[in-house]
Amino acid sequence: MKDPYEVLGVSRTASDSEIKTAYRELVKKYHPDNYANNPLADLASEKMKEVNEAYDAITRTRGSQSGSYQNGSYQSSGYQSGGYQSGSYSYGGGNGGASYAQVRAYINANQLDAAESILNTAPNRDGEWYYLKGTIAYRRGWLDEARQHYQTACAMVPSNFEYQNALRTVQGGYTPYRQTNYQRSDMDEACNLCNALLCLNCLCGGCR
Amino acid sequence: MFGYVRPRRDLLAKDAFAAYHAAYCGLCHALGKHYGFRARFLVNYDMTFLALLRASARESCPVKHCWCPARVFGRKACSIDGQNDAVTAACTVILCYEKLRDNVRDESVLRALPYRLLCWLFRRAYRKASRRLPDFAALCVRQLSALHELEQQASPSIDATADAFARIVSACVGDLQDPALRRPMEQILYHTGRFLYLADALDDLQEDCRKDAYNPLRYRFSPSSGALSAADLDYLTQLTDSSVNLAGAALELLPLASNRQLLENMIFLGFPAVFSAVKSGKFQARELFWKKEIRKRTIQE
Repeated sequence: MKDPYEVLGVSRTASDSEIKTAYRELVKKYHPDNYANNPLADLASEKMKEVNEAYDAITRTRGSQSGSYQNGSYQSSGYQSGGYQSGSYSYGGGNGGASYAQVRAYINANQLDAAESILNTAPNRDGEWYYLKGTIAYRRGWLDEARQHYQTACAMVPSNFEYQNALRTVQGGYTPYRQTNYQRSDMDEACNLCNALLCLNCLCGGCR
Repeated sequence: MFGYVRPRRDLLAKDAFAAYHAAYCGLCHALGKHYGFRARFLVNYDMTFLALLRASARESCPVKHCWCPARVFGRKACSIDGQNDAVTAACTVILCYEKLRDNVRDESVLRALPYRLLCWLFRRAYRKASRRLPDFAALCVRQLSALHELEQQASPSIDATADAFARIVSACVGDLQDPALRRPMEQILYHTGRFLYLADALDDLQEDCRKDAYNPLRYRFSPSSGALSAADLDYLTQLTDSSVNLAGAALELLPLASNRQLLENMIFLGFPAVFSAVKSGKFQARELFWKKEIRKRTIQE
């Protein structure tokens, strides 16, 4: 096993709060929401597991030394390694029991051609069909097609949150963790505006 | 190649900029070393990104001061990365040669003459590079003929055409054995290839409309008098932003031992900056645009 301190990117002398901060940062970075429908979701899940194990190992060691640290690592219960939970969807075409659940299973296993060939034999095209078709396109990196299919799925079943989230992701509404660090220009502009207002306030005698 | 993959130099720390410069000069040096002096002319910004990405798993690359043909006196710092340099140089030669061949195919007999001459000049380098990476060379030929077929059919799908090119770019790391390195790098390069294709298509749109040549954006959006509507441009920007997001998410999964700042700068800041320059038509005068950036930086320093 890797050195847990190295995994969290902290020194051995780091304080408990520093370790907790580093751990939270990494959890945010590898959070399953950042890798929804991403073909690399399995790698992200492995990273998350590694980070959790490292944090648990450190807290266990420190806890046994000081006896005061509570183990509180990120609970990944309910997180299905970025994949789908096979639902009870079925298009009921009656052709050998093929169902949307099977398509989802193939998509989770990254067997996109097999998933698509099942979809192409479906007798009717409902919201779920378009959603799955969009997901296959998204996983391939075909973002224009994915967006069109997701839009159709949302138009057909407007109340489905899964479809809406997928559409938001492909529209760029959800940005990965790191990018938030690169959106400083707007923040800087906001800060500049605040500074300008403060200066104006001083000049107008607001500081008397 | 295209030259669309660049860092925002004004937002780059001095040591990161020096590392970028060393990678660029290192690629030029590797081209000269493996494929002779002529091949040095093939050095470009896009393949420097590949060199930086491939070198990112190593903590640091040794830097050697080498002779530079563009500088009469003095030497330049070049990062030397053995096996990675050899593969990047081979990919550069193969991709540039294929692009020249593509130009020969696209242009009229007279206009294609300079490209034919260049193909002839680089034929030996290409043969040597394709002996080194036979699978990659074969994939390039296969994908480019698929792309040519899509062009012949006047395909309205920007995904299918961009995919044919993006697969070539993502195959530049196909030789890596470790999937924890290869898979995220492939995703980064796939979306880089997609970005390159879309940015080039947008850059050439007006000219292609004038010449009545194939451009996927013409058939996908039907622009009027060579310009896309504001809504279509917004849509295209969102598509490239999604590519940036997916490349960025893959970058987070790489065990980066070096070049983090540079790669993040190129993906999160460079891609959108170049795309907005292309949108506003400024990228046609690309050297002017980037020289202005450098001048601004020099004045600041």
